[in-house]
Amino acid sequence: MGVLLGTLVGVLPGLGPSAAISLLLPTIFHAPPVASLIMLVGICYGAQYGGSTTSILLNIPGEASSVVTAFDGYQMARKGRAGPALGMAAFGSFIAGTFGVIGLMLFAPTLAKAALSFGPPEYFALAVMSLTLVTYLTKGSVLRSLVMACVGIILSQTGMDPITSGFRLTFGLRALTNGFDIVLVAMGLFGMSEVLLNIGVPSGQTSVPAADTRVKNLFPNRKDWRDSAKPIARGTLIGFFLGLIPGTGNAIPTFISYALEKRFSKHPEKFGTGIIEGVAGPESTNNASSSGTFIPLLSLGIPGNPSTAILLGALMILGFQPGPLLISSNPDLFWGLLASMYTGNVMLLVLNLPLIGLWVKILKIPYSILSVLIMLFCQIGAYSVNNNVTDVLIMNIFGLVGYLMKRYDFAAAPLILAFILGSMLEKSLRQSLILSHGSPWIFFSRPLSLILLLVAISMLISLAISGRRIGAKAIEMKEA
Amino acid sequence: MFSLLVLYEALRLGPGSLSRPGSGFLAFCAGIVLFCLSVGLVCRGWKIRDSRMTHSQRVILTFAVLFAYSLVLGVLGFVVATFLGVTALFRLQLTRSWWTVLGTSALVTLLAYLVFGMLLHVYFPVGFLGI
Repeated sequence: MGVLLGTLVGVLPGLGPSAAISLLLPTIFHAPPVASLIMLVGICYGAQYGGSTTSILLNIPGEASSVVTAFDGYQMARKGRAGPALGMAAFGSFIAGTFGVIGLMLFAPTLAKAALSFGPPEYFALAVMSLTLVTYLTKGSVLRSLVMACVGIILSQTGMDPITSGFRLTFGLRALTNGFDIVLVAMGLFGMSEVLLNIGVPSGQTSVPAADTRVKNLFPNRKDWRDSAKPIARGTLIGFFLGLIPGTGNAIPTFISYALEKRFSKHPEKFGTGIIEGVAGPESTNNASSSGTFIPLLSLGIPGNPSTAILLGALMILGFQPGPLLISSNPDLFWGLLASMYTGNVMLLVLNLPLIGLWVKILKIPYSILSVLIMLFCQIGAYSVNNNVTDVLIMNIFGLVGYLMKRYDFAAAPLILAFILGSMLEKSLRQSLILSHGSPWIFFSRPLSLILLLVAISMLISLAISGRRIGAKAIEMKEA
Repeated sequence: MFSLLVLYEALRLGPGSLSRPGSGFLAFCAGIVLFCLSVGLVCRGWKIRDSRMTHSQRVILTFAVLFAYSLVLGVLGFVVATFLGVTALFRLQLTRSWWTVLGTSALVTLLAYLVFGMLLHVYFPVGFLGI
């Protein structure tokens, strides 16, 4: 179900995995916890693949990580080789996803055991480093990203103080006594804002241009496999290890993979004209990086991108305590998720390839109709969180805020990450200062905390000196 | 604006229910009618069907509809509020006849109620009309 829903949403231009997960987040209240999480993870995978389908067939990437696939994938489709392109995208994703799951199985418990030696200063330093990395890698102005991170932290403070039980930043409003719900914030910032931004497509105009969407023969031939083997292997490694780093998202690894394949290719001049390596490498990368991002999430409780940030919120809503003890105290959750990720990979291959025609038909629905349906879905989803009509109002307000943010180039990723990490940041900061009797040197006297903080500080300094960032170029699509 | 004021005061007085109308009942009904007529006048004046409406105008109007939907959801109930809200949103997006828009809105409202209310057991608010 998650894979199907994720592909359906991934196919729609503009709605990436984060928007897909945020739109479907309210469903976790109506299903068993582990099943709900499995579905949300399936949505992540499905959305990645859905974005690739439209990249290849229509040159319209469904999300940022599918931009690169369009370079060669669409050219292959124009040459009548849409089938092998789609097939290789699916097979490459399956292979990379499988190895990614194995990597997750091996690394996550090991990292969780190491993290048991973390204390409050280490957690604080880790949260600061994660936030700095995200602002470093996010497209746009550094100052704006930092502003958004601060806003996210402030929003996370609304409601009851966990230590003194006093109310703060509620302004006397009863609706804010429990703080802002992650579901409402995510749906507003990612789902509703996207729809508001796309309003204005002239009525009656179909959302995608006419294109030959006939797909013949989904199986790549022997030469395609020979040419794709090394790109798939390289893409898997690049995606998995880059996915471990908070803030990279899924888009940056795909660009790096494409650039690397071009570098290693015997005929780099053919890239961009429709060669299978240009599809196999990036597609493998984006699936492998999806698995990589789960490692810090499950072993440390640190999300690496907006999708995993929302998943972390879902874990907390369902009563699971993210952190190093998550795996040991909830083995059924961890192994259930792993098994579902592998199953989801198989499902992608088995279900989605035959359904390509259906996804393309869905794209032909005018966006003017789709947008209303998505907005209605958001309203119902927001209401269903607590059966409270005030939540609908809050979600709509966040939708407007998200729209204004997108319109004026304020990234949402730092805000949502800071919002999620805000409570952990505050708790670890206050605990550390209590332990050290108010001395801030506790953060610099412990080796691991010192290293993490130095990484964060060096990133900020390098930004201030060079004025450039890694993720600034060539990522025009919304969100990774 | 006046109709909204009337609605607010009527709600404060308490509209009651169909079987036991409160002191604010008639004022509430009149406020609803006045609100709908006012919206119609505004729409005609702004030529909502004019495709030259700017993106910002569409966003503002869309948000206004969503904001109003949030406010009236608990009062009118899910079915009525959703039907009105979806109608307004479709009208903003589509240049079709009113009958097409109303028919589509009714169908969408019905499907939403069936899927979320009956199948997924979401407890939607029931308005003062009892639906």
